[in-house]
Amino acid sequence: MRWWRSLLIVGLGVAAGFAWNTFSGHGFVLGQSVFVQAGDEVIEAAEAKARLDRGALFLDARPPDFHKMGHIPGAQSLPEEGFDAAFAALEPRLRTHFNLVVYCSGYGCESSHIVARKLREKGIHAAILNEGWPAWTDAGYPTRAGAAP
Amino acid sequence: MDGRGLSDQGRSRALSVLSNRWLQLLLRLALGGFFLYASLDKIANPAAFAKVVYQWQVVGPVASNLVAVLLPWVEALAGALLIAGLWRRESALVVAVLLVVFLGAAASVLARGIDVENCGCSSVGPTKGERSFFEGVGTFLILRNLVMLGAAAVLIVVPPRPAAHPPSP
Repeated sequence: MRWWRSLLIVGLGVAAGFAWNTFSGHGFVLGQSVFVQAGDEVIEAAEAKARLDRGALFLDARPPDFHKMGHIPGAQSLPEEGFDAAFAALEPRLRTHFNLVVYCSGYGCESSHIVARKLREKGIHAAILNEGWPAWTDAGYPTRAGAAP
Repeated sequence: MDGRGLSDQGRSRALSVLSNRWLQLLLRLALGGFFLYASLDKIANPAAFAKVVYQWQVVGPVASNLVAVLLPWVEALAGALLIAGLWRRESALVVAVLLVVFLGAAASVLARGIDVENCGCSSVGPTKGERSFFEGVGTFLILRNLVMLGAAAVLIVVPPRPAAHPPSP
């Protein structure tokens, strides 16, 4: 067994990976979350809590059943699936509220980013809570249960 | 015949089977083919793979990006070398180390009760409908990786038996 060969395989793989990411056109920015795109405003839980205290309206991008089990106080359900119907019901309020925060299930959940982008396409800006619901509950911030906001 | 003699005989028989060059060829092609195939979709869609890696919740977002960009190329290279029969033991060692890391990560995911719909093992696209037994992190993935780890161990430890030459006339 020649150990250097195993190390060389790994080294060549690493070099090829970086080269592919840089030159292939399939690459992406490595230094930030892959979920974040240009135009996204991502805020941490502490900032989200401060905005809630200042009257921000929270939007729950998770499926409605998750919203019923527990949500951020005052949050309206605006799930990624069924967005159009939920948006139609909420649109008048969303167009007059200028402090919106959208969140989802955290860790690998993309729904909040997708909902924020759909809102942006309609001319509405919403910040995204980084790591979503688990970041909020881990910080010990208040929650509500049930269908009502 | 004492117990030790029987054990030695069994070991010798097992070694004889595992060193069969056709079995070794089969193991190389199967293992190398799987790793090479598994790398292709990830290489073509590194950003989608980064999302899958992050869903495992083993490493943070930036580390997930690095894994997504680098890992598939190591898989591809080791897989291609196994298929070609070059650096057989060394490339099998790389595959074995990767499999041990995958098994540890899968055990961590299962222990924490995290539901990963698509493990990203061979494709990064969305799963079809319900959580898939074959694509999620679960029993199937653990068993499959253990089988592949066994195959890699054979390639590392047991040298193939040279082809028998016909006796000279």
